Amino acid sequence: MSAADLLNLFIAAVLLAGVYAAMSVGMTIIYGVMKIVNLAHAGFLMLGAYFVFEAYDRFHIDPLVGVLLAFPVFFFLGMGLHWLLIRRIATSDQPTLTSLLLLFGVWLVLQNLGYLIWGNSDRAILTPRTLSSFEIGPISFPTVRLVVFGAAVLSLVGLELVLHRTWFGRSVRALMQNNEAGQIVGVNVQRTAQVAFGVGIAFAGAAGGLLAMLYSFSPDFGATFQLRAFVIIVLGGLESFGGVAVGSLVLALAETFSILVLPASFQPAIAFSLLVLALIILPDGVAGLWNKRRRWV
Amino acid sequence: MEQEAPVGVNEDVGDAKPGFSRIAPAVGPLLVLAPLAALPLFGPGPNTVRLLFVTLTLVTASVGWNLLGGFAGQISFGFAVFYGLGAYTAALSINAGIPPVVSFLMGAAVASVASLLIGLPTFRLKGPYFAIATIGVSEAVRVVMMNVPWTGGASGYRIVEKGRFFQMHHYYTALGLAALAVGISIIVRRSKLGLALTAIREDQDAASDLGVNPFATKLLIHALAAALAGAAGGVYARYAAYIDPDGVFAFRNGIAILLMPIIGGVGTIWGPVIGAFVYGLIHEEVVANFPQAHLLIFGSLLILIILFEPAGVVGLSNKLMRVLGRERKD
Repeated sequence: MSAADLLNLFIAAVLLAGVYAAMSVGMTIIYGVMKIVNLAHAGFLMLGAYFVFEAYDRFHIDPLVGVLLAFPVFFFLGMGLHWLLIRRIATSDQPTLTSLLLLFGVWLVLQNLGYLIWGNSDRAILTPRTLSSFEIGPISFPTVRLVVFGAAVLSLVGLELVLHRTWFGRSVRALMQNNEAGQIVGVNVQRTAQVAFGVGIAFAGAAGGLLAMLYSFSPDFGATFQLRAFVIIVLGGLESFGGVAVGSLVLALAETFSILVLPASFQPAIAFSLLVLALIILPDGVAGLWNKRRRWV
Repeated sequence: MEQEAPVGVNEDVGDAKPGFSRIAPAVGPLLVLAPLAALPLFGPGPNTVRLLFVTLTLVTASVGWNLLGGFAGQISFGFAVFYGLGAYTAALSINAGIPPVVSFLMGAAVASVASLLIGLPTFRLKGPYFAIATIGVSEAVRVVMMNVPWTGGASGYRIVEKGRFFQMHHYYTALGLAALAVGISIIVRRSKLGLALTAIREDQDAASDLGVNPFATKLLIHALAAALAGAAGGVYARYAAYIDPDGVFAFRNGIAILLMPIIGGVGTIWGPVIGAFVYGLIHEEVVANFPQAHLLIFGSLLILIILFEPAGVVGLSNKLMRVLGRERKD
């Protein structure tokens, strides 16, 4: 294993981390504002993948444009789901049994709809970009991964701007920090929750589209990524956007470098092992570590 | 057990009540058990017995899940792990010549130990960590079992038993285990442990102020629940004589074990039993008639129950009784 190979692995991990962050951030928003663990996340990742696939297959829309289109479509889908189901259940400062089970039911329904519409065969999005790569010295960059990474980072920057420059963003951050205090200063909780749910689902759909450019997919597709998203947000301390970035990087590094020591078939177990490790060593996530340090200073 | 129930705890936690309500809990089980125990008198076909056998193993797992999910309010999506570990442990021990009953116990023991491994890192924390971890655990264990060579990996494992195959023998084993599970559930409900579990479900901080150790209590009930699911898996494995990771560790088993108490009524004694029968009987029909849509049906059912009747069949029948009782008075 030469230094160049290690560098290649490292770059692959960083590129993967970008997609992971885009995939997890939607879950963080929904958890932060409503304290709901969105178990239907996997279903929307899958729908996003098929949305971009269908747009490319039927209307020859470039997958990148497809991902851009997925944002508004899934935003309204999420708002609709909130209006139809989510607003009817009580929320508290802890994830309730009801919310877990409700969204689990939604996941089952979405997954089955996927099977009914698209069957259980694997699909993939193949564009001229898919297999091309370019090289700088001994280091090679797969084009599609670079493009996907760029799109993921752009969407995260966009979200960051929305969160820090708009009234909606300010209410979201207020509710994440302290729900009751937010209410007292006049944040419309229901309205913010609905829009936040929409944004969370929009990111799920778009991230599904990005993932579809990298991997083949079937209606079962979201499950393993949902677990990864969980691990990432737990590593990140559940409600911190900076934590999501760090968590994504940690998981991507662990998965990428594990091929040096573990057979590839064990890879799906890595995310879970990392989750258990994180819960034992860092129950507050990486962000908790950072907060603790700040408290000492 | 002469202690007052803490304020704010549900009224029906099984404290001393005079007269009929003391006898009723003993009558209910007999009413359910008698026809099931007398099954051979009805001369059922082998397929009916198989269906009832499978349903009874589901009852055991469902009652086990309810101890943790219903009484203590800790949702687990990963009971397939205990079911599968119990199945594999029992299979390995039966093939090693250990008597079946001991093998089932070993299956239960292994499942309990596994439950500690999941509970130790997650129960110390409040929040969704436990539920999240259980989603990953069945997938992780399934992947590992697919790649472990000494149980045949993905190609599964066969159980070889000498002697004839008596279906009724298996049936009565499953019935006995299910009765044991319900018995344990009743005892837990009426004990101090049951009160502690309810307190944890309603308010963990308040419970720990009252001297309940939430961490140890949750670990204990998780181990007990896992043992029941593991024993159920073992009984099933001996009957099926062939198990594979995609069969026993499948995430859909975890879904089924969770769905049954919810259909019947979470946190009640008989809800999980009713739910398991409803699920066991309709599942075959649904899968046979709508093979493409059974997840859709069960998912929608879950959503509807959560939104409209969170107390399941038991809650529905309680409501019905109340309405009928009111009419009689008029």
